[in-house]
Amino acid sequence: MPLELLVEWTIKLLIGFVILMTTVAYLSLFERRMLGFMQMRQGPNRVGPFGLLQPVADGLKFIFKEDITPLAADKFLYVMAPALSLVPALMTFVLIPIGGEMKIPFIDRPIALHVTSVNVGVLAILAMTGMGVYGIVMAGYASNNKYSLMGGLRSSAQLVSYELAMSMSIVGVLLQAGSLDLVKIVANQGGWGGMQWHVFWFQPLGFIIFLISMVAETNRAPFDLPEAESELVAGFHTEYSSMKFAMFFIAEYANMVTASAMATVLFLGGWQGPGVAQLPLLGPFYFVAKMLFFLFLYIWLRASLPRLRYDQLMDFGWKFLLPLALINIVISATVAVVLL
Amino acid sequence: MLLQGWEAFFFYGLAITVLFMAVFTVSAKNAVHSALFLISTLIGLAGLFLLLRAEFVAGAQILVYVGGILVLFLFVLMLVNIRDDNQNPFNRQDKIAFVVSGLLLGAIMFSVYHTQQSGFFKSKPTDERAVIESAKPGPNTGMISTDTENVGKTLYTKAVLPFEVASVLLLVAVIGSVLLARDKKQEETYD
Repeated sequence: MPLELLVEWTIKLLIGFVILMTTVAYLSLFERRMLGFMQMRQGPNRVGPFGLLQPVADGLKFIFKEDITPLAADKFLYVMAPALSLVPALMTFVLIPIGGEMKIPFIDRPIALHVTSVNVGVLAILAMTGMGVYGIVMAGYASNNKYSLMGGLRSSAQLVSYELAMSMSIVGVLLQAGSLDLVKIVANQGGWGGMQWHVFWFQPLGFIIFLISMVAETNRAPFDLPEAESELVAGFHTEYSSMKFAMFFIAEYANMVTASAMATVLFLGGWQGPGVAQLPLLGPFYFVAKMLFFLFLYIWLRASLPRLRYDQLMDFGWKFLLPLALINIVISATVAVVLL
Repeated sequence: MLLQGWEAFFFYGLAITVLFMAVFTVSAKNAVHSALFLISTLIGLAGLFLLLRAEFVAGAQILVYVGGILVLFLFVLMLVNIRDDNQNPFNRQDKIAFVVSGLLLGAIMFSVYHTQQSGFFKSKPTDERAVIESAKPGPNTGMISTDTENVGKTLYTKAVLPFEVASVLLLVAVIGSVLLARDKKQEETYD
C-alpha cells in the first residue's frame, strides 16, 4: 500500500473525527438553546459569550465526576457497553462523502472529500448502525437494574422494528441510483437544477419513511422510549455516570449527525447545489447546510411532540411504516423499469 | 495457494478468533454471554467474507444476523432474565449433538477436499491463475469490486430455485407467527 494513501487516510480520519466531535459538542448547546427559545426561556447563556463555552464546561464536568460501578453489575459488559455504543457511531461517518473531488494546493491529484468509498457503502452504514444497539442492550443487561433492563428491552425491540422500515425505504433510492455506493448516489442527483434530488424525483414517500424511522433509530423524541425519564428514570443509562455516561451521550449525538448526513446524501442530493461544478469548495457548505436542517428538525420535534406510548410505537412501525415502505418499493421498481 | 502478508495476518487472526468465540458460545455458563460470543463469531465470519472480497455477503451477514436476529435472541434472553450462573451448558442430548456435529464436520471436510463435488452439478476444474488474475483490482477499477452485481445476477439465474424455496419458507414462517400471535379476542372477531 502506498505511503501517500496511508497519510491521506490518516489526515482525513483526524479531520473527520475533530469535525464530528465538535459538531456533537455544539449540537448539544444548539439543542439546549433552541429548546430554550421554543419554550420561552433562555437556555444556557452564562459560560462564555452566548454560552459558547458551555460544551467545554460540560466536558470537564464529565471527566471530574465520580465513576461508579454498581456492585451487582456484570463488570466486563458494564465497561464494554459504552465503548460498543460509541465505536459504531464514530465509524459510520468515514463513509459519508461531504463534497466532490477538489484540487488542493501543493497536491497534484484531486482529493475526494470522504475518507473511504466502498461499493457497498449504504449496506456498511446500515450494518454499523445496527451494531450500535448492542451497546444499549448490554448496558441495560449489565447494570442489573430493573429500569435499565426495561430500557434495554425496549431499545432492542424498537431498533429492530424501525431498522426494517428504514432499510426498506432506502431500497427505493438504490433502485433509482443503481448502486450501493454513496458517491454514485450523490452523483445521480446532480441534474435539473436540484429537481433530480431523490426527495423530489419519485422518492418523496421513501423520504418521509426514512425521516420517521431515522428519528426512531437514534432514540430521539418522540420515540425516546429507551430513556423515557417519566417512567424509567433514565432507561438503559440509569446506572452510568462520569465519562461512561458521556460516551453514551456522544454516541447518541454522533448517531444524530450520521443519520442527518445519510438523509442528506440519500434524498437531498448530498453536496450538490448551484455553482458546485465551477467551485467544488462550495460542496461541503451545501452539505452542512442541509445536514443542519435535519439536526434542527430533530430539536424541533423534541420541543413540540409528546412521547408515544410503547404499543403505539410498535403498531406504528410494523402496521404502518413497514407496509408503506413495501408499497414504496413496488412503486419505485415499476417507475424505475418504465422510466430509466 | 499460500496466504501471504496482510491477508495471512488477517485470515489467521480472524479464523482463530472465530474458532475460540464459537467454543466459548457453547461453553459459557451465562446465556446472555453465550449470545454475545455468538455475535463475536458472526462478526468474525463477516470479516472472513470481506477477505474473500465478498463485500455484499459480509454486509448482509452483519445487517441480518448481528443487527437483526441476534438482537431478538438477546431480547428473549433478557425477557426471561436467566441470572443463574451455574447452569450446566451440556444437557442430556450431548451424545446426539456430538454425532450430528461430527457428521456435519465430515460433510464439510469432504466437500472441501472434493471441490468438484461441492455443488449440485459437476463444475469444470477452474484455472486457479485466471481466478487470481480476475480477482486482482485492475488499474482502472481501483479498489471497487463488482460483488453486489454478481450476487444479484446469480440469485436470479443460477440460484433461482433455492431463492424461491427460501422465500416460500419465510412466507410460511410469517403467516405462522401471525397466527400464533393472535389472541383469543381477535380470533373471535375474525371467526
